[in-house]
Amino acid sequence: MSSIKRWFVTTNHKDVGILYLVTSLFFLIFGGLLALLIRVQLLQPGGTILADAAYNQTVSAHGLLMVFWFLSPLAFGFANYVVPLQIGAKDLAFPRLNALSYWLYLFSGLLLGISFFQGGTFSGGWTMYAPLNVPIYMPSIGATTTVLALLMFTASVTVGGVNFLTTIHRMRAPGLTLRRMPLFTWTILLTVWMMLFAFAALLAALMILSSDRIFGTVYFAATDSGGSVLWAHLFWFFGHPEVYIVFFPALGVMAEIFQTFTGRRIVGRKWFIASMVLVAIQSFMVWMHHMFLTSINLPVKTLFMATTIGISLPFDLMVFALIYTTIKGKIRFKTPFLFAFGALVLFILGGITGVFLGAVVLDYEFRGTYWVVAHFHYVMVGGVTGLVGGIYYWYPKITGKMYDEFLGKVHFALYFVGFNLVYFPMFLAWETPRRVFDYPEAFTPWHQLATVGAFVLGASFLVMFYNLYASLVTGEDAAPDPWRYVTTAEWAVPSPPPLENYPGRPSYDGGALQFLEEAGPRPSGIAAADGGAGTRTDGGVAATADGALAGGHDHEESHASIWPFGLSLAGFFLLVGLSGVNTGGTAYVALTVAGFALGAYTLVGMARESQTFHGPSGPFGESWPFAKVENMKLGMWFFLASDVVLFGAFIGSYVFIRVAFGWGAWEPVPHDPVPGLMNTYILLTSSFAVVMAMVAAQKGSRNGVVASLLVTILLGIGFLGNKGIEWLELFHEGLWLSTNVQTSTFFLTTGLHAAHVIVGLFIALYMLVRAWGGAYLDDDKPVEYFGLYWHFVDIVWLFLFPLFYIL
Amino acid sequence: MNTKLYAVIYVVLFVFATLQVAVEFAGLTYWTAFWLIMALSAIKAVLVAAYFQHLRYEPRAITYVVAIGVVAAIALTAAASYSITGT
Repeated sequence: MSSIKRWFVTTNHKDVGILYLVTSLFFLIFGGLLALLIRVQLLQPGGTILADAAYNQTVSAHGLLMVFWFLSPLAFGFANYVVPLQIGAKDLAFPRLNALSYWLYLFSGLLLGISFFQGGTFSGGWTMYAPLNVPIYMPSIGATTTVLALLMFTASVTVGGVNFLTTIHRMRAPGLTLRRMPLFTWTILLTVWMMLFAFAALLAALMILSSDRIFGTVYFAATDSGGSVLWAHLFWFFGHPEVYIVFFPALGVMAEIFQTFTGRRIVGRKWFIASMVLVAIQSFMVWMHHMFLTSINLPVKTLFMATTIGISLPFDLMVFALIYTTIKGKIRFKTPFLFAFGALVLFILGGITGVFLGAVVLDYEFRGTYWVVAHFHYVMVGGVTGLVGGIYYWYPKITGKMYDEFLGKVHFALYFVGFNLVYFPMFLAWETPRRVFDYPEAFTPWHQLATVGAFVLGASFLVMFYNLYASLVTGEDAAPDPWRYVTTAEWAVPSPPPLENYPGRPSYDGGALQFLEEAGPRPSGIAAADGGAGTRTDGGVAATADGALAGGHDHEESHASIWPFGLSLAGFFLLVGLSGVNTGGTAYVALTVAGFALGAYTLVGMARESQTFHGPSGPFGESWPFAKVENMKLGMWFFLASDVVLFGAFIGSYVFIRVAFGWGAWEPVPHDPVPGLMNTYILLTSSFAVVMAMVAAQKGSRNGVVASLLVTILLGIGFLGNKGIEWLELFHEGLWLSTNVQTSTFFLTTGLHAAHVIVGLFIALYMLVRAWGGAYLDDDKPVEYFGLYWHFVDIVWLFLFPLFYIL
Repeated sequence: MNTKLYAVIYVVLFVFATLQVAVEFAGLTYWTAFWLIMALSAIKAVLVAAYFQHLRYEPRAITYVVAIGVVAAIALTAAASYSITGT
C-alpha cells in the first residue's frame, strides 16, 4: 500500500494515534498564532492592530481551538496509541469507528477554518453565551459554521468515547484487573465516562443553537432567564466536566512520568484512583459556580459553592500523592519529568486561585476579570504542560528515535519562564476586564510583560518542533525501554511497536506481564518474549481468568477502510451546506444535498463492509463488569446512554423554559391529544413487530423476519405520516418553529424524535433487503441491536407524548 | 423467551397509553393528574426496557449505565428548574 493512501484508510490504533497527535499540534499552532495576535493587541490599552470585530473573533476562535481542537485531541492521540498497549489489546474494540472519530475531528477543524471566510467566525467567546449567539446579534454565516463545527467535533467525541469505554472495560489482558490498571489508562477511562454524558448535554445545546440559527426556533432569543440562563445551564453542565475531561489525561501522563522518573510506585495509588473517581462524579455537581452572576437564586448558589469546595478535596489528595512520590523516590531530571513536575506546580497555582472564584461573594468581584483568565490558563495550560511531558515521554516509543535531551531541557526552560511571564502578570493586573482590549493605563507594563512572555512561550515550541523533527531524521535508535523503571506494558515491546503489538498473547496472570503462545493456526507465536521482567503492574497477586486462554485468535485483524474518511467528508459537505442553506444560495443547497447523498452512500458502504472487516475478537481477559456482554451490544448501550442524556437535555430545556414562562400559563401546542395517542399505539406496535422479527430470526424463519421488519417499516412510515398531517395542520394555523417558544420546543423536540425514527427506518430498510436474501437466520444479533435502538426511540416517545400533548 | 410474554407486555403498554389520556379527562386536579400520567409513562418505559430490550436478562451493570444517564438528565432538569424559582 502506498504510504499516502495508507493514512487515509488506516484503522490501526497506533496510526490513528499519530494522526491525532500531528493534527492536534497543527491546531496548537493555529490557536497559538491567534493567542499572539491577542497579546499584540493588548500591548497598549485600546488595542494596536486588530479591528474590534476581528479581536472578538480572534479571542473566540483561540478559546475554541485550544480547548476542543488541541487539548483533548492531543490527549486522545496518546490514548489511541498507548491505551491498547497498556491493557494488552491488539486494537480498539471498533477500529473503523476509531478512524471515524479522527476524520470527524479533522473535518470539524477544517469547518472552523472555513468559518473565517464566511463573513467572519463566531465572535461571542468560547462559552457562546445566549442571547449573543443568536442570528439577530451575530448574523454571519461563519458563526453558524462554527457552531456546526463544534457539533461535528461532539459527534467525533461521542463515537470515540463509546469506543474507548468498550475497549477499556472489555478488552484487558488476563490478570489486568481495574485495581492493577496503569494510571494513564485509568485517567482515560474516567475521561471517556465523563465525555459520554457531558458531551451529550453539549450536543443538545449545539443542536438547539443550530436550530435557532438555521431553522429559526427561538429558544435562546429570550433575554430573560428562559433563554440566556438555559444556555448557561446546558453549556456548563457540559463545561465543568469538560475541565476535567481535558485535565485528567494530563494527570495520567504526570502520574506515569512521576512513577518512571522517581523509580517508585505512586504513593497511595488506591486513594489516588479513588480520588479521581470521586472527582469524575462530583464534576457533574458543580456547574452552577460558573453562573453566580446570573439570575439564579441564592440558595442554589450557596449549594453549588459547597459542592465546589467539596470537589477541591480529592484534588488535594492527588497533589499530595504526587509530591510525596517525589520525596519517597529518587528523581531523575529528564525532560518528561521536568514538564510533569512543572505541570504540578502550575496546577497547584491554578487550583488555589480557583478557590477564590468558587466563593460566591468573591466571584461577584472577580467575575469577568483577568483573574479568571489567569486562573483557567494556569489550569488548562498547566494540563498542556503535562501533555508536553507526554510528548517527550512517548516520543521514543512512537518514533523509535531518541529526542535530544539538551534541546528538551532548553524547551522546558523557555516554556516555564514564558508561561509564568504571560499568565502571572494577569493576576497582578486582575482588574483588567475580560474579553475586551481596553484596560486602565496603570496596567500597561504588566500587559507588555505578558506579551513578551507569550512570545517566549511560543518560541519554546519552535525548539520542540525542531527537536522532534531533527531527532526523527538523525536521532539515536531508541531501545524498547529507554527509561528503565517503567511500570507499563507499552515499554515491553519494540520501539516502535509492530502492527500486531505483541509477540503472542499478553497476560498478567503470573503477577507480571508475559507473552503466551498464540492458540490457533497462526505460526508466529513466540513464547514468553523478553522485556517481561520490569513490567509489573502494581505487583499484586496473580488473578486467574479461567478459560480466557483456552480460545485464541484464529483470524487476522483488518486494518484498512476508506469509509470513515468518506463518511466524514460527507458530513463536512453537509454541514458547510447547512451553514448557509437558509440563505437559499445555490452552492449551499447543492452542498447540503450532495452531503446527504454521499453520507447515505458511505453508510451503506460501511455497513456492507462489516461482513468482511474483522476487528479484535475475544475471548478477552478481564472484562469487569461487562464480562457477559459482547462488544457490539455494550457499545450500543453506551451510545444509548448518551442518547438518554441528549433527549434528557432537550426535555429538560422544555421543562426549564416552561417553568420560566409560568407552568400553568403554558398550553400544549397540539389542540388534541388523539393524534399523539394514535402515534403512541403505532410506535408500541412497531416495537412489538421488531421483537417478533428477533423471535423469527431465532426460530430460523426467513419469512417471519421479512414480514416483521416490513410491518415495522410500514408502522414507522405511518407514524411519520400521521405526524406530517398534524404538523401541516398546525402550519396552516400559523403555528410554526419560530412562532413562539411553545411551538419551538414542540416542533424541535418532537422533530429530533422524528429524525431518530427516520434513521431507524433507513436501518430497517437495509436490514429488510438483507433479510430477504436470508441474512440473520444463523445470527440474530443485528436484529437484536437494531431493536435496542428502536425500543429506545419508543421509550422517548412515551415521555414526549404526555409532556407535549396532554400536560 | 416466549412470544406470549411479549404479547402480554404489549397489551399492558397499549392499555396504559389509553389510561394516560383517560386520566386527563377524569377531572382530577392538575398536579395529581400530572404525577399519575408521568408515573404511567415511567412504568411503560421500564417495561419496554426490561422486556423488549431485555435488560432484565442482561448483567445488571448495563442497567446501571443507562440509569446514570437518566439520573444525570433528571438532575440537570430539576436543578436548572429550581435555580430560577423564588428570585
